[in-house]
Amino acid sequence: MKDKEDDALLAQVAALLDSPEHVGHPLHDALQRLYLHHCDQQVQVQRLIDISDRYQSLAMEARQVTEQRYQRALRRQRKLSRISDGYQALMHERNQALHQASTHDPLTGLPNRRLIIERLEEFVRQRRRFTLTLLDIDHFKRINDCHGHDVGDRLLVAITQTLSATLRDYDLCARWGGEEFLLLLADTDRNEARSIVERLRSCLAAVTLRAGDQTISVTVSAGLSQHRPGDPHQTTLMRADQALLKAKRAGRDRSLSDSI
Amino acid sequence: MTTMISDLDIPGSQSTPTIHSDWQGGRLTMRGDSYPENSYELFDQVIHWVRHFLTDEQRPLHLELALVYLNTSSVKAMMDIFDLLEEAYETGRAVSVTWHYDARNERIAELADEFREDCSYPFAITPVRGEP
Repeated sequence: MKDKEDDALLAQVAALLDSPEHVGHPLHDALQRLYLHHCDQQVQVQRLIDISDRYQSLAMEARQVTEQRYQRALRRQRKLSRISDGYQALMHERNQALHQASTHDPLTGLPNRRLIIERLEEFVRQRRRFTLTLLDIDHFKRINDCHGHDVGDRLLVAITQTLSATLRDYDLCARWGGEEFLLLLADTDRNEARSIVERLRSCLAAVTLRAGDQTISVTVSAGLSQHRPGDPHQTTLMRADQALLKAKRAGRDRSLSDSI
Repeated sequence: MTTMISDLDIPGSQSTPTIHSDWQGGRLTMRGDSYPENSYELFDQVIHWVRHFLTDEQRPLHLELALVYLNTSSVKAMMDIFDLLEEAYETGRAVSVTWHYDARNERIAELADEFREDCSYPFAITPVRGEP
């Protein structure tokens, strides 16, 4: 609307300037110069607007390209982090599985020697009171020989379940060897340990296993030793082993304590 | 006239993958774990080879992968390689990937699938019984 008015005004001025009746009028020359000056200015303004528009659209394009690049980089970065996190989690799981495998017995799932020895060393360092018990299944070899190793293995698993169910949460039971188990009874003296082990032995004697048409049950011998402050754990272990040997020699199916 | 660059034949180690390229056959194989001390040095050669092959040749390129564990910089290098393949594929080149994984380790397949996400070319993830 404005443009139209402007055009109309300019057309009117041009027509007045061109009209012969106004030639020589005192304002004619001044108006003519003003008119030309205005036309010049109009061209200049239009050029400025064009340049400004072009510049703006270039800046806009550049911004869009940067934005697209940024979004792509962000997407890549997220993908990289996601995949990398995945590999890290995988590694962590593998480590845990390896740690479990290196510290536990695959058949019974019990801690192995390595783990219980680590724990023993800790107890000794922390000067904690504890009693060790070595348990041995009486005549286990006979079961393997008569019924096969498969039955022997099943018996070990059944014994383990009863052991784990009977012990206190803070005790530790490890598979020490073939049919030997080592109990670490925490904060327990040998008298207390003795009654725990006797209760445990009667629970274990009640464990039965079907093999074909036979029912198998076993008795257990145990050797106890209360840790003497200042002794290395090896000494306490050796004393438990000697007590177990005595229990075996005395006719099995019993527990004996090593004298302090 | 094509300028053939020398093939890669990098023996693997505990922390680096076995890398073998075959310019004539249009194949690149990578297998094993990858957590090298200097991933850039190792993967730069691979990326260089792939870029050259895609630029100099018009023949198809196939990647045979049996990668297991990758550290972050190796993941980034593989993403770069897959991006090169994608760019080539978009210009009409025949490229493909087969990623073999141990069937006992499904997690590797899931991670390979994450890599595949932005790839529109043939990208197979196939289980292998026993060691890949």
